[in-house]
Amino acid sequence: MEIELQEISGFLQKIPPFDTLPSNKLAVLSKSIEIEYARKGTILRDAKEQLSDQERKLYLIKKGALAYYGKDNELLSKYSEGDLCSVWLMPDKNAFISVLAEEDTLLYRINKVELDDVIQEAPEARAFFGQTAAERLNKRLQKQQEEALLSSGLITSQVTDFYHSPAATIEANQSIQQTAITMTELGYSCLVVIEPQYNKERAPVIAGIVTDKDIRIRCVVENLDIQHPVSEIMTPALITIEQNESAYDALIKMTSHSIHHLPVTQNGQLSGMLTITDLMNHESENAVNIASLIRKSESIEQLKQLSKLIPKLQVRMAKLGASADQVGKSISAITVAITHRLINMAEQKYGPAPVPYAWLAAGSQARLEQLSHSDQDNALIIDNSMLPEHQSWFKQLAHFVCDGLAECGFIYCPGNIMATNQKWRQTKKLWQNYFQQWVESPTPDALLNSSVFFDLATVYGDHGLLNDVRADMLQRTQNNSLFIAHLSRNAQMLKPPLGFFRDFVLVENGNNEKALDLKHNGLALIVDLARIYALQQGVSAVNTQERLKAVAGSSAITKSSARNLIDSYTFLSNLRLKHQADQLSQGKSATNFMHPKALSKLEREHLKDVFKVIKTLQDARQVTY
Amino acid sequence: MLNYFSAYNRLERKRKKLLSQLTDKLRDSALSQYIHTPFKSFEQEILDLDLLSIDFETTGLNAVSDKLLSMGRVEMHKGRIQLASASHNIINVKQPLNSENVVIHQITDSETNRGCALKKALDELLTAMTGKVLLVHYAHIERSFLEQACWQVYGVKPPFLMIDTLAIIKKRFDMSDAGYDPSRLRLANLLAEYQLPTYSSHNALYDAISTAELLLAELHHHKQGLKTKLKDLV
Repeated sequence: MEIELQEISGFLQKIPPFDTLPSNKLAVLSKSIEIEYARKGTILRDAKEQLSDQERKLYLIKKGALAYYGKDNELLSKYSEGDLCSVWLMPDKNAFISVLAEEDTLLYRINKVELDDVIQEAPEARAFFGQTAAERLNKRLQKQQEEALLSSGLITSQVTDFYHSPAATIEANQSIQQTAITMTELGYSCLVVIEPQYNKERAPVIAGIVTDKDIRIRCVVENLDIQHPVSEIMTPALITIEQNESAYDALIKMTSHSIHHLPVTQNGQLSGMLTITDLMNHESENAVNIASLIRKSESIEQLKQLSKLIPKLQVRMAKLGASADQVGKSISAITVAITHRLINMAEQKYGPAPVPYAWLAAGSQARLEQLSHSDQDNALIIDNSMLPEHQSWFKQLAHFVCDGLAECGFIYCPGNIMATNQKWRQTKKLWQNYFQQWVESPTPDALLNSSVFFDLATVYGDHGLLNDVRADMLQRTQNNSLFIAHLSRNAQMLKPPLGFFRDFVLVENGNNEKALDLKHNGLALIVDLARIYALQQGVSAVNTQERLKAVAGSSAITKSSARNLIDSYTFLSNLRLKHQADQLSQGKSATNFMHPKALSKLEREHLKDVFKVIKTLQDARQVTY
Repeated sequence: MLNYFSAYNRLERKRKKLLSQLTDKLRDSALSQYIHTPFKSFEQEILDLDLLSIDFETTGLNAVSDKLLSMGRVEMHKGRIQLASASHNIINVKQPLNSENVVIHQITDSETNRGCALKKALDELLTAMTGKVLLVHYAHIERSFLEQACWQVYGVKPPFLMIDTLAIIKKRFDMSDAGYDPSRLRLANLLAEYQLPTYSSHNALYDAISTAELLLAELHHHKQGLKTKLKDLV
């Protein structure tokens, strides 16, 4: 007897997590399918009831569409061809869900007992069905990080791309003191110890390596005479790497032996030194280079040329597998460098500042979450000793810097949140008044427009000015329920989508949107929540992840919820980074809009998990406030 | 009312007559088992019946001169199609295939050469259909080739109880005033009309699955749905 269900297996194989199953398991699963039909308008039995294992089943939609409704007939989500419907597999005890066939629908039913049999030896599939939305997301991120390391440039780069040559050496018969002196002179924390060179013509022979830690632990702690030869405290160098090997191999060698320094050889002879920091930093090295070029540049024209490297850096870092967090920090650092340089130029042109002041970044730059060429949001905070005649100096400074930033591709803020706006170029006292007003007599509109000022960072100048204002502000916001209630209400105005329906984004009222707005459908919602928690708890951090880490386990949010939000934020921002890298490398401008067609089925599943996490925490605010 | 009652009686009479004539030689055969099992009452609902959807590929339309090439079948139980029961037999026709036909049924000479004997395929089918109601799309082909196969192997032509999706849907079309193109009744066209999946492999098994899916869709357009009685369908 010949069984031919390849076409059914082929259909299953396109649906995660079945894509991870081997073909023999897919064949077994195909054979366990029962095909059912539901006419449009049929309500399938509600899934709340207690189901025994025998009654539990998974549905796959072959044709048609199902919609989930919660209590009060609230649309929860919709599913179509190729989607899984697991409401009868893992019934949520707390949620009433009724399922409506929105179209004539053909369903593939797999009973739990048979499903369990098939996925028993498939850990990924088993995890998929056994985990909550938050757990799945966390697993995904772990995997992403592993993949990032594997796909990072280390595999294609050679040791010579990173090593220092020649290596700093010391002869084995030199004293420990001399070793310390040489390290200090060269500014190195590690030297290669070589056999005493009686003949300088001959290539040095590696004896070992010595680090400043060896001096500390094997000499100072042991009270060893510093005149003893260094060979007594060195680590014999058994492990070296040839310079034509890949940087990835070097990394593996170091991590597997728990060492941070690796002598590099060419045909067995010492040619240089590689440290783990060299490898770890290589992705941000470019950002460091660009920043140092910015500091040396002499004209706005030069700055403009250098700022053109930012999108390229974003693409390169993304391709090398850097996380959105790393990229955001690197790009924010470059923006800071450009701003610094512009302020220096202005001070040269208009003379020194009459009184102390600080240049502030607001919004994404302050949170270190900026991607290439976002809007400029900035402000000035000036010492209370400012006199009316000083106004013009600060006005000139503001225009010079903002115009310069615009030249460099940071477009003027459409909401006019810039130092050129006199309203945002004020003394510390006035800023304190602003915050007092916002916090103590909050109105929804005013808060909506001022939320960007709750994310401020000093870019240049006197850090004390903003620190004082912030301390004052946090004292007012902490446990101020009226203010927190207003913020919470505003935060609920933007809702995450319900999910995807065919190639559309399904939103709250059942409407379909053509594109997913990664910012306003996701990232911004998490940023808003993190800000509320931070202000409620009086936390001074502004970076979203740092805020969430700082408030985790407080009365504002549990540890696990904070963890889930960080995972969601990381997933969304990494997806945006990848999406923008694709756009930029195709010569398009970077946007936050993603067409669902560009998302894999798995990414859609994870996005649905992200939406669930956000919705749960938004709803929690609604209950509390 | 009388009509279906007499149809059922005719089937049962024919079955019992055949049973009495069954030779000793056939006593343990798959055919004998089939003949021993009474037909299902026409009063039963589809939900309570076991159906066997079948489809044949043949070398032509004439059951006497043409050959059975393959048989596909799948069971329906409680209104659910059971892929676990899906089966596909290719029969060794012991003759070269006409190349024009190969394009239609997509069974090649080498496949049929590796196929099984007609008796083996027929016995498997008879065993599978015992106690079940057959489901086909356009009963004429399956009925005549099945009769012919039984004649060839066992020398008898047993009665068959078949639901024919084509006949059911045709009846509905005929009742409406608007005329229709007869090609609308072809399986592929009906699948498209009912927005059912079309499988890319056009073999007897997938057509049997499609026929079962078509019956499910059609029944859901009937007032009684899966509770429709057999008498309303045959």
